[in-house]
Amino acid sequence: MKTKSNLLLALFACFMITACSTSVERLDSQEQVDLSGAWNDTDSQLVAREMIEDSLSRPWITRFITRTGNDPAVIVGTVKNLSHEHINTNVFIANMERELINSGQVQFVASATARQEIRDERSDQAVNATQDTRNAKSQEYGADFMLQGQINTIIDIDGKTQVRYYQVNLELISMQDNRKVWIGEKKIKKLVRFSKLRQ
Amino acid sequence: MYKILLILTLTLLCGCTGYQRNLNQLATSLNTTPPEIILAKLQEAQPRKRDYAQFHLNKGYLEFINGDFASAITTLTLAKKEMSVLQATSVSENLGAGTISETLRSYSGYPTDRVMVHNILALSYLFSNNINSARVEILQADIAMKKLADKDSLNGQLASTHLISGIVYEMLNEQSNALISYRFAADTIKQRGQPVPQGLKQALLRMSFKLGTEQQFFDYQKQFPDLSVENLHRKNQVFVLYFDGVVSHKVENTVVLPNRGFDQLIRISMPAYPQPKQNIKRIQLSVPEQQLVTEAVENVEVLAREDLDKEYPSILLLTTTRALAKYELVYQANKQDSVVGLLLNIATLISEEADLRSWNMLPASIQFAYLETNQNELKINESNGRSESIDINNSSQNIILINSLSDQVFQYQRP
Repeated sequence: MKTKSNLLLALFACFMITACSTSVERLDSQEQVDLSGAWNDTDSQLVAREMIEDSLSRPWITRFITRTGNDPAVIVGTVKNLSHEHINTNVFIANMERELINSGQVQFVASATARQEIRDERSDQAVNATQDTRNAKSQEYGADFMLQGQINTIIDIDGKTQVRYYQVNLELISMQDNRKVWIGEKKIKKLVRFSKLRQ
Repeated sequence: MYKILLILTLTLLCGCTGYQRNLNQLATSLNTTPPEIILAKLQEAQPRKRDYAQFHLNKGYLEFINGDFASAITTLTLAKKEMSVLQATSVSENLGAGTISETLRSYSGYPTDRVMVHNILALSYLFSNNINSARVEILQADIAMKKLADKDSLNGQLASTHLISGIVYEMLNEQSNALISYRFAADTIKQRGQPVPQGLKQALLRMSFKLGTEQQFFDYQKQFPDLSVENLHRKNQVFVLYFDGVVSHKVENTVVLPNRGFDQLIRISMPAYPQPKQNIKRIQLSVPEQQLVTEAVENVEVLAREDLDKEYPSILLLTTTRALAKYELVYQANKQDSVVGLLLNIATLISEEADLRSWNMLPASIQFAYLETNQNELKINESNGRSESIDINNSSQNIILINSLSDQVFQYQRP
């Protein structure tokens, strides 16, 4: 009887130790994993892809090409986080930039921070690089449109259940005359049920 | 079986009381010792896993008043997550609390902690020049307060949180949100039976005027006839927050009684708060044309007592249940072996302790003052004789935080 209970105790101890150990599993970056219900990489990728696809399918692009004969040059400006979560908007901006560039339908201009770094490098080249490898100043490609936007949320709570509503609004604004040529909106609604019990 | 229970009880509880007593002493000595020394001492302590949230709340707050905002954000974010996870019920912890001791439960934070953590995080982000993240924290605080809202009680509703929200919204030029938050702050203060600070009255008047809500503006003008709305053009706005003292910590009220047959002792221990200290200090602010003092927005002493009062019935019920369970255990052991019964009785007496955990390093009161000035220098005079001068840029909005525990003054300035 005593041996049996000791054995059970040992088994229980083994189970507890195994249950407490850390485990790591590699996942495909496209795989959807929702842990807390908060804004995550899946939301960021999904919204960026859908909104850029929508913007590139609208008439502003063909009108611009017809008028100028060139592909429009786009720059991504600020995406304000007005949500109740600490969202890294840089990831979302990077996702949108990737979708825009890979579409092949628009030219893409580097952001203000990146441009400043490049200008610094060009100034350095002007002093230190040979004449035939040097890049001249004032040859930058100016953007025709700027993409700006914001992420908003509405949270509804009842006990351990939450409805999280995310709304992403993006606007494409003409640099020439401040006209808004495209407005996009993407909504995500999540129902999150928090566990009533824990270990 | 009884021997195993005895060893288990003593092992589980070894160090529990010592850690909390040490933490309470550290909190008390904050009034006389620099917070950086208290932080170093706190970090030397080895909290149990079930006390992590309390440990991180205190550590984060000390980092905050030491001006280490990056660390405060990391630590308090961790505390916030820990408290969120611990909102779910643990069967094993409840079993431990119901049979051995209340302290076997993880510290999941009182309603005040769950809201106040957002206050400190919002201020940490502001003083790190990140007002957008401060805005995220005040939105989260709003959700936390909505979760805790109860029509019969103000438990978990913090006027200071609404006030900080109002200031952040006003700085971000979200006037409608700012007015709503200031109104919530004033309503909460009134419901607690406290006088509304002049700075908050001015905020209501100012925001209703800016928003153009005429009826509301006239109502506020009638309510506050001694105040007027000045043209803010080229004026500096200064929002001053003052954290005074350290909130009191819980004490244990214990009764030890023999049973009817005088063959075992029963101990009952309940947490309680001592009488709050009355010596609230204020600070004086002056620019050449005006002089004012900070006024209380939040009495954290009251909040701490409200938190305990709300839990008191369930603590009492659990303590009674535990006393009965322990009595029965000792009674059964006594029947088999009187020595084991005696040892078990001692163990049940030692194990019976009140849960004294709380966020015990918070300020005792949060005060506020507001001024509009053309001057570029603000003088601060504390009751302890300390005085400080703060530079203010032209046409700027400023949040200044002064605390009675350290000489550091924190300022966030927005053009």
